[in-house]
Amino acid sequence: MKKKVGVYICHCGGNISDYVDVEKVREAVGLEEGVFLAKTTIFACADSNQKEMVQDIVDNELDAVVVASCSPKLHEPTFRAVTERAGLNKSHYVHANIREQVSWPHSDNKLGATEKAIHIVRSAIAKVILSEPSEPLEIKTHQAVLVIGAGVAGMKAASSLAKMGTQVYLIEREHFIGGRISHWDVLCTTDETGKELVTRLYNDISSDKNITLFTGAELIGSSGSMGNFTASIKIKPRYVKSACNENSFEKAISACPVEVPDEFNFNITKRKAIYHNFPSEYPHAAVIDIEHCTRCGECEKVCPQIDFNQHEETIDLKVGSILIATGFDPYTPHEGEYGYQVIDNVITLPQFKRLVANSDENLLWKGKTINNIAYIYCVGSRQVEGENKYCSRYCCTTTIYSAIRANKKFENLNHFHFTRGVRTYGKQEELYHQASKEGQVFFQSFEDDLPVVEKHNNKTIVKINDILTHKMPIETEVDLVVLVTGMVPRAENNISDILKIPKGRDKFFNEIHMKLRPVETVIDGITIAGACQGPKNVVESINSSLSAAIKSYSFVREETLSVNTLTAVVDASLCKICDACAKACPFDAIHPVNIGNKEVAGITESVCKGCGMCLPVCPENAIQLTSFTDNEVEQMIDMLARD
Amino acid sequence: MPSIQKLNFDAVVVGGGIAGVESALNIANSGYKVLLVEKDLTIGGKMILLSKVFPTLDCAACITTPKISEVARHPNVTIFTQTEVKAIHKQDNHYFKAEIVKHARFIDESNCTGCQLCEEACPVVVPDQYQYGMVGRKAAYIPFNIASPRIAAIDIENCILCGACEKACPTQCIDFMQHDEEYQIITRSVVVATGFNLFDPVKIPRFSSETAQNVITSMQMERLLAPTRPYNHVIRPSDGRIPDKIAYVLCTGSRDLSVGNPICSQICCMYSIKQAQLLMGSLPMADVTIYYINIRSFGKGFEEFYEQAKGMGVNFVKGKVGKITEKSNGNLTLRYEDIKTGKLKEADHDLVILSVGVLSNDDPQQFFAENEWKKDKFNFALQKDLFFKPSLSNIEGVFLAGTTSGPMDIPDTILSAGAASMETIRYIKQSTVEI
Amino acid sequence: MGIPEGKAAKILVFSTEKISDPAIDMAGLLKLHYSSKVYTIAVPCSSMIKTRWILRAFEQGFDGVFIAADGSDCPYGESCTEKTGAIVAQTHAIMKENNIEPMRLKMAAICSVCSESFVKQIKSFNNNLVEKLKS
Repeated sequence: MKKKVGVYICHCGGNISDYVDVEKVREAVGLEEGVFLAKTTIFACADSNQKEMVQDIVDNELDAVVVASCSPKLHEPTFRAVTERAGLNKSHYVHANIREQVSWPHSDNKLGATEKAIHIVRSAIAKVILSEPSEPLEIKTHQAVLVIGAGVAGMKAASSLAKMGTQVYLIEREHFIGGRISHWDVLCTTDETGKELVTRLYNDISSDKNITLFTGAELIGSSGSMGNFTASIKIKPRYVKSACNENSFEKAISACPVEVPDEFNFNITKRKAIYHNFPSEYPHAAVIDIEHCTRCGECEKVCPQIDFNQHEETIDLKVGSILIATGFDPYTPHEGEYGYQVIDNVITLPQFKRLVANSDENLLWKGKTINNIAYIYCVGSRQVEGENKYCSRYCCTTTIYSAIRANKKFENLNHFHFTRGVRTYGKQEELYHQASKEGQVFFQSFEDDLPVVEKHNNKTIVKINDILTHKMPIETEVDLVVLVTGMVPRAENNISDILKIPKGRDKFFNEIHMKLRPVETVIDGITIAGACQGPKNVVESINSSLSAAIKSYSFVREETLSVNTLTAVVDASLCKICDACAKACPFDAIHPVNIGNKEVAGITESVCKGCGMCLPVCPENAIQLTSFTDNEVEQMIDMLARD
Repeated sequence: MPSIQKLNFDAVVVGGGIAGVESALNIANSGYKVLLVEKDLTIGGKMILLSKVFPTLDCAACITTPKISEVARHPNVTIFTQTEVKAIHKQDNHYFKAEIVKHARFIDESNCTGCQLCEEACPVVVPDQYQYGMVGRKAAYIPFNIASPRIAAIDIENCILCGACEKACPTQCIDFMQHDEEYQIITRSVVVATGFNLFDPVKIPRFSSETAQNVITSMQMERLLAPTRPYNHVIRPSDGRIPDKIAYVLCTGSRDLSVGNPICSQICCMYSIKQAQLLMGSLPMADVTIYYINIRSFGKGFEEFYEQAKGMGVNFVKGKVGKITEKSNGNLTLRYEDIKTGKLKEADHDLVILSVGVLSNDDPQQFFAENEWKKDKFNFALQKDLFFKPSLSNIEGVFLAGTTSGPMDIPDTILSAGAASMETIRYIKQSTVEI
Repeated sequence: MGIPEGKAAKILVFSTEKISDPAIDMAGLLKLHYSSKVYTIAVPCSSMIKTRWILRAFEQGFDGVFIAADGSDCPYGESCTEKTGAIVAQTHAIMKENNIEPMRLKMAAICSVCSESFVKQIKSFNNNLVEKLKS
């Protein structure tokens, strides 16, 4: 039992004190039994207050501390550390959330908010009074990182980690690396192409002995936790032996009689059932699309490297941290959205980019020369009706840049941009200037009056009430309509289910805190990088991937990691060994042990994750979870219930 | 003349704003020795002076102060405030020599308790630069309540040497005999995190910011809304009245070739929308109008935040403001082109906030040899290998964190600092020089 | 006993540290208002809640107990929903034996961004409790 508790109530610079009468809270809780001092502070997290807390604890020999401030997800670690610096065990710190769960949701009810804050602080005091010291568990780490996704973000992270001396497993679901950037031609605003960038990254990773790359590889299961994950990877066969010459591949490809839409070119071209995305694709080895292959055997005749005996494998990788860099999908418009799939010259931005990249002298669509191009912006982004409320960030710039590049490559193009307000943020603004100077035309409408694409007598017409010319109705006849499709989360993505990574309101993976912990997830040891977290351009993805890499590195840098886990504790005198707890445990942490000459349930501390699933199933109530004992929880309930 | 002191580090981080602090922490956490150099009296940069930050509306202090506290007591980090980098010379073999000068604070830093008695005693009042001139401060003063270090300093330029502070100080830590200290630093690497400058609207005379008292900058409004604010209310400067018809003029000094800055500052739309939301909260009766060219709410959760502001009743007017004229009662007349109707219009407001843009900070040019430090055409640091290694400067071993390389918001700044520190650590790790 | 006219029900919420508590935090962040008589205790996982804690809450004067369960998002395993459901069923049975209205214990899965759903659920739970328990 603690007798000298220090309580600090934070104003949060008005975030709390504008709605909660912090002085009243201080007075009320100052009278609680066990409370030695109660103070209010403008910013509990400020350095000066942290110093004052340490001083208070030392000077007054306080034995426990409560801070009532923001959500524990933000600053519980901060104040635990303060308590430790003052020489107390960190279990003797309890956090009370009076911002996210009091002042903000009850900003309409100051009296009620103050009343609730008092109750919450009281219950935190009750809990801290009963707290028992706990020691962190030292666990041995696997000094390796699993990087999921070999796009720019994943490859960059992998190469950086490897250069720090960390073992890296880089897995890519596709048979070729490079992700979305490999589709892209020249990137704005340098003259480098996506393929060149991917080549540089690939050279980096393939020359590094610390990196093992698996293509056609997918995460199918994971167990363990920070420092100690086991990831199950399913590897699909290529049906082609690697290490063989390009010539015989090319022969095999021309021999193949099967043609299917080429996804790499977003289905605007066809490819064979044996294929690579483009010559000298990485890794340099073709692949057989077994779903479409008819097993006619033509390829085998010309290429000795074909091997239909290859089969699927599953391997287990042991790693200390997992870095997710699975990227995004381009939004696919639904049928009829601005004429998509209904009017034959309506395509998406990725299709347009492939079309420009693949065309040499003339820009043709279905055999017809293109002169006038309309771009419809924010397709699949900033939706009023649909689910995607967010802005996809990269599309304005990339569309304008694509138009500028198309002008460099082809003659007599006219560009008409149907925007919802151009967002070429930062230095990218220069491109908008340039496009305007080139005579590209920009129209704008708001969300309540979007442009319309129609087909009249074989003519494709785009209509808009242009607000830049005070809603003048404008009709433009064009040869091609490009739907500027935004970024959406990967559709085929069960990673969040396997790793239990929460998604945000936009369905992209969610970080813990955008500014405090921007690349970490709620699952310790798992980080996120690049566009799987939300739309980003290349530079932003690289920055985020290096930030994630440094975080993942921190989990595997040392041979051991000290972790604070709660554990279940069995009261041997009550246990009648019925097996119910062992059955409930999802981690197989409970096995019979002998204590004295009695057989009881024993909990393996290093395996127990502290979920507490064994607690309610025990018919004898013989199991308690540290920090959540019956005594602690019931005292908290009593304090919350008190009038 | 005192002798030059010599110190060795693995990394010198120039600039103690959020980018510098984040970089220093990352590098130090990987086991390397870092010197964090800040020219101001306190670390925390511009972020620590902000009110709340978009799009989560967390208070800026709640994010900066813990990081600052962590860096301040990190065993691998040495912090020099009020310190100027004079020169950084690249040496062969992977290291640098830096000459830095720690200016005299005239305070014994280790003994000052921050009691503020000197501040009370000091008879000199000058405009407070941390409140952007909206109130005064003393010549003996603590920068602001959550400064780090939170200790006094003597503003020797304005000090009249009356000795009142010396008498008032209970720990006798005021020392007028202090002098600047020179250091020679040997370091394996340098991180430039010198941040940005805000556009000075005086350069646009038609906005009358020099003459009209009720035309203020967005940074001044940040201060009016911040927890360490000068007054307890949002008031307008001319007469202390609570404003009820407030206007924001976006793109002040951005996207404007006439002032030599063609690019977009990337943060002004969002901070203005945020301030508008905060104003709607603290002044429920006020009308807030935002005059804009394009709203650029492009980041994670930004568009939703913009929609939220519209829902709260913030009035968005698409149109460029041409001229601001002060009336005799201190109110302002805004002349603007209303895009919706295509007509020139006028509107009266009682407080106008100029959403000023982001300009480069040219300090690095001063301390690197002239031809060595390369800039892009917008005067920001040149990113030598934009896609492959965005934080690489054109000088090997010198890395770029935050807005040194261009406008960015806080989340992007933190990620950029993460990238810069990763590259720095890699570089240090490869260095085998004994220093 | 009973909730006086015009008053809100006193509700104890068991939330989970990694899933539903962040959603409740976000409700605050988004300034979604709900009754200040709603109190939260965050636990690691909803399938660790003991019947005796729930009964204790009723005994001490809470009108309702709301379990904001992890559902299928639970980081500890798939069985969470089923196990939490079993605890609720078992507790409902005991409540019946002791003449406590079973509707006073409610469980719903609240994902980590289900802030609006949380507020909606808690409002309707409050209304139902007020209706049932009015004095």
